Amino acid sequence: MKHHDHDHSHDRSFDDGPPSEHEIMSRAMQELLEAKGVITAEQLRRRMEQFDAEFPQRGARVIAHAWVDADFRRRLVADGKRACAEWGIDLEADRLIAVENTALVHNVIVCTLCSCYPRALLGMPPTWYKSENYRRRVVREPRAVLREFGTVIPDDVEVRVHDSNADMRYVVVPMRPAGTDGWSEEQLAAIITRDALVGVTVPKP
Amino acid sequence: MGGEAAGPVDPVDHGMKFWEKQANALRNTLTSRKVVRLDELRRAAEDLGPRYYELEYFQRTTEALRRVLLEHGHFTEAELAAKMAEVRRRYDAA
Amino acid sequence: MTLPSAYTETRARRFNVGERVRVKLAFPPGHRRTPAYVRGKSGVIERVCGAFANPEELAYGFDGEPKRVLYRVRFRQRELWPDYAGAEGDHLELEIYEHWLEAA
Repeated sequence: MKHHDHDHSHDRSFDDGPPSEHEIMSRAMQELLEAKGVITAEQLRRRMEQFDAEFPQRGARVIAHAWVDADFRRRLVADGKRACAEWGIDLEADRLIAVENTALVHNVIVCTLCSCYPRALLGMPPTWYKSENYRRRVVREPRAVLREFGTVIPDDVEVRVHDSNADMRYVVVPMRPAGTDGWSEEQLAAIITRDALVGVTVPKP
Repeated sequence: MGGEAAGPVDPVDHGMKFWEKQANALRNTLTSRKVVRLDELRRAAEDLGPRYYELEYFQRTTEALRRVLLEHGHFTEAELAAKMAEVRRRYDAA
Repeated sequence: MTLPSAYTETRARRFNVGERVRVKLAFPPGHRRTPAYVRGKSGVIERVCGAFANPEELAYGFDGEPKRVLYRVRFRQRELWPDYAGAEGDHLELEIYEHWLEAA
């Protein structure tokens, strides 16, 4: 069976291997809901596109802009959702709070209760963010978990963990690294990784 | 969950299979259109009990979504079983 | 047209930024958004997020009204975990609904 790039709603991918019970269950629910007019195939297709292509690009662009525009940065930290809306990015349901890394504070984000994450800003969370090991340990031994990502924070810098357990969603504003003077926003965005926006790594030029 | 002992974190992002991307889009479309609430999905996942720890992330979200959609009466168990059989046949024939 | 905000309005609320609060030490069954590891612990109000429909009710298909005030509360890690191995200055912040808080 050919994999049709332009119409995903009625195909599966052989890359997934043989279909599991859960894949079949999910697909069956989707088709029932489409048949009953609760949702449309077009809505799903559009959502998949947004998660694949649109959402994951936004976070780095927003932070790069904050690095070059101090007033935008201030507004982003005061009200992340509003600042993004003013700049033309609709975060839909995400109530974004931006937390700034400084010389004194390093921030890291988790959702211990499930996997809350600013999806409209960053796309899908990585598998490690959703893992039980991360959710269990980062609140209690954040420095040890950061070391597992190769990140060492000195003891005179506070490690501040944010558990996004209710209605708010979080993004880290990393410190702009040295050696990036005069860079364009595109160049800056290219070094702002998703992992740095969750706080487990820092950007490197 | 938070604060309990656990093993090392695998820092590699293993991404999503195609069906998981579809499942994610389904869940997200349903919550943004308020067909189901995120809070209901979380509660249904928590109610999986010990199965919670046996299932992978998208297996959990699929079972939670099934529970909430049944609660809301969007389909019956029988309808779902019949549709699953149809999907299974179609995939087997491919 | 008003721009969307991360925050909502609150009418009346019990606590203000900077106040010391304690999270109730209670383990009611059902869906709760207050993690077990902060229950019974004391911290400081860091921010008022606004009033939101109660997730404990939304989870069961109710409308969650009247809305409840949601706060961000900052805790010292050394107070949350007796064996905390990180730095003295490390903190944890999360969101707690007003009905889970008492003055400390």
